[in-house]
Amino acid sequence: MSSGDDDGQRDPSVAPNAVLVPQGADAAVLQLTGSWRLSFLERITTQLSPLKLPPKVIVDGSKIAEIDSAGALALLEYLESAGESRAQMMGFAQNELRIVEQVLKRLDSARAPTAHHSERIVEMIGRRGIEVGHGVIGDVNFLGATVAGLAHGVLRPHSLRVRELAVQFEQVCLNAIPVVALVTLLIGVVFTYLLGLQAEQFGANIFVVDGVGIGMTREFAPIIVAVIVAGRSGAAFTAQLGAMKLTEETDAIRTLGLSPMDVLVLPRVIALMVAMPLLVFIGDLMSLSGAIVVADSMLDVTPTTFIARLRDGLDISHPLVGLAKAPVFALVIAVIGCRMGMSVERDTRAVGMATTSTVVQSIVSVILLDAAFAVFFQELGI
Amino acid sequence: MKERSDTVLEVDSVVTRFGEQTVHNGVSFTLQRGTLTALIGGSGTGKSVLLREIIGLQRPTDGRICLLGTDVWRDSEDQLNAMRRRFGMMFQDGALFSSMTVAQNVAVPLLEHSRVPPDLLDPLVKLRLAQAGLGPDAAEKMPSELSGGMRKRAAIARALALEPEVVFLDEPTSGLDPTTARAFDQLVRSLVDDLDITVFLVTHDLDTLLTVVDRIIVLHGGKVLADGTIDQILQSDNEWIKSYFSVRTMIEPHDEPVS
Repeated sequence: MSSGDDDGQRDPSVAPNAVLVPQGADAAVLQLTGSWRLSFLERITTQLSPLKLPPKVIVDGSKIAEIDSAGALALLEYLESAGESRAQMMGFAQNELRIVEQVLKRLDSARAPTAHHSERIVEMIGRRGIEVGHGVIGDVNFLGATVAGLAHGVLRPHSLRVRELAVQFEQVCLNAIPVVALVTLLIGVVFTYLLGLQAEQFGANIFVVDGVGIGMTREFAPIIVAVIVAGRSGAAFTAQLGAMKLTEETDAIRTLGLSPMDVLVLPRVIALMVAMPLLVFIGDLMSLSGAIVVADSMLDVTPTTFIARLRDGLDISHPLVGLAKAPVFALVIAVIGCRMGMSVERDTRAVGMATTSTVVQSIVSVILLDAAFAVFFQELGI
Repeated sequence: MKERSDTVLEVDSVVTRFGEQTVHNGVSFTLQRGTLTALIGGSGTGKSVLLREIIGLQRPTDGRICLLGTDVWRDSEDQLNAMRRRFGMMFQDGALFSSMTVAQNVAVPLLEHSRVPPDLLDPLVKLRLAQAGLGPDAAEKMPSELSGGMRKRAAIARALALEPEVVFLDEPTSGLDPTTARAFDQLVRSLVDDLDITVFLVTHDLDTLLTVVDRIIVLHGGKVLADGTIDQILQSDNEWIKSYFSVRTMIEPHDEPVS
C-alpha cells in the first residue's frame, strides 16, 4: 500500500488480459490481469469475445492492476450477453469492487435500447410544409404589427426614439456606403462591357447608354442594393435581436413597461426604409460612373456624349421607379430580420439558423416583389 | 498497491491582473487526490478566473500552475492535450453543444479521444448518463429540451466521459431548487467515494459546503485567506468568513457536519 509506485499504476503499457482457467466440467475462473481502463476497451473486447464460458464462472480480479467504470462496463456487458450476469466476483480490492458494483447497478440503464425515430420523406415534406406555412403567417403577422406601429409613430412623432433611430441609420446607411458603392461600380463596368460587346457589332455604341441607364437605375441598382442590405443589415437585425432574446433582454424591456416593437423594431425598420432609397441613389450614380469609364475607353463614347445621350434616352421615370421600390424592399427586409430575431428560442443554435433564414427569406422576397413590381408598372404603363 | 501520487494540482503564487486591477496577488494551494475541495469567495474575487487559469483557458499574469504533473502554462501543447483527457470540466450553464443530442454530446470526447468499440459506445454513453443521474430516455433529447438541473447532469456526464482523474465544477448547484441541489451534492460526493475522482468546485452554496465538502479554500483580497475543513473554517475569527457563514447560523445553529 505504498504510494511510491504511483506512476506504474497509470502506465498504459500494462495491457489487460483475460484467461479462462477451467475448474471441473462446468465451472471456470476468469482471471483478469492488467489495466482494465477506457484506453484499452478495444483490447478488452478482443480478449473477451473468443472465450467460451461454462455455466458457472467466477471472476478473479486479484491480479488486476486497475479497473475503471468503462472497463467494468465492458466486462459486465460481456458477462450479461453471455448469460452470466450472476457471475461471482472475487479478489477485487475494495475500491475496485465499488466501481464494479456501481456499474452493475446501472447496467440495465446502460443496455436500454435507444428509440430511434427515423423520419420518412413524406413526413419530412409535411413537417417542412407546415413550418414554411407557419413562417409565412408569422411574417405577415409581424408585418401587420409593424405597419400599425409605423402608423402610430407617424401620428405621434414624439413617441419615436430619435437616438436609437440615429444609431441604426448610421449602421445601415452610412456604414454600408463603401460596399454598396464598390459593388454597383463594378456591376456598372461589367454590364456596360457586355452590352458594348454586342452593340459594337451593329455599330450601335451610343445605345449602350440607354441600356445601361434603364437597366441599372430601374432594376439592377435596387436589386443589388437589396441583396447587400439583406446580407448585411437583415442578418445583423436577426443576430442582434436573437442574442437579446437569449439573454432575456427583450423580456426585461417588456417588464420595464416598454414595448420591444417601439424600442427595437421600429427604429430599425424606419432607419432602413430611409436608408435604402439613398443607397440605391448612390448605386445609380456609381454604376453610371463605371459605365462612363468603360464607354469612353471601349466604345469611343466620350463622357460628354454619354451624359447628353443619358438626358435624351433615360426618362426620369426609370430612376424614380427604382427609387420607389427601395423603401418597399427595405420594409420587407427589416420586417423579416426583426421577426426572425424575435422568434429565436432560448437556444444558441437557433440564432444561427434564424440568421440564415433571414437572408434566404429576404433575398427570395425581394426578387418576388421585384417581379410583381415589373408586372404592376407594366400594366400602369410606366 | 493502488495508491497514486497524492498531489493532483499545485497552484503556486498565481498573480492575475486585468489592467490596473489585481485579481489574484499570490494565490497558492495544493489539491490532494481523492478529495472534494471547494473554492469560495465573494463575487469578483476571481474564483472562476482561477478555475479558467487552472484548466488552461486563461493565462495568469504570473505564477505556476501544475495540474496532473503538467505545467499548464509552460509545457508544450501536446503535453497539454494529453493532460486535457485526464480531467473533466463542467461549465456553469452546462455548455452543451446545442446542435447535438445529449447522447451525442457525451459521445464527443469518447469518439475524439478514445477508441471505444462501436458496440460499447452506446452502453458507455448510457452508463455515463446513469452515473450523472440521468435515465436512458434523456439520451435522445436536445439540450434545449432539458431543465437546468438535467442540463447540469448532462454536462457532468460529458465531463466524466473519459474517466477523468479530476473533475472541475463551476457552481454546480447554482440555479437549482434545493431538492435538486442536494441530490446534486450527493452525486458529486459519489464521484469521489465511488469513482475515485478528485473534485474541485467553485460554489456559493452553504449547504454544499456544510454537508459534502472535505476541504474549503477561501479566496479573499487576492490571496488564500483560509484553507481547511469546514470545522476549521467555521472557527475562524476573520470578519469576512464570519459574515459569510453568519447567514446560515442565523437560521439554524450549526449542526455537526456530516462527514
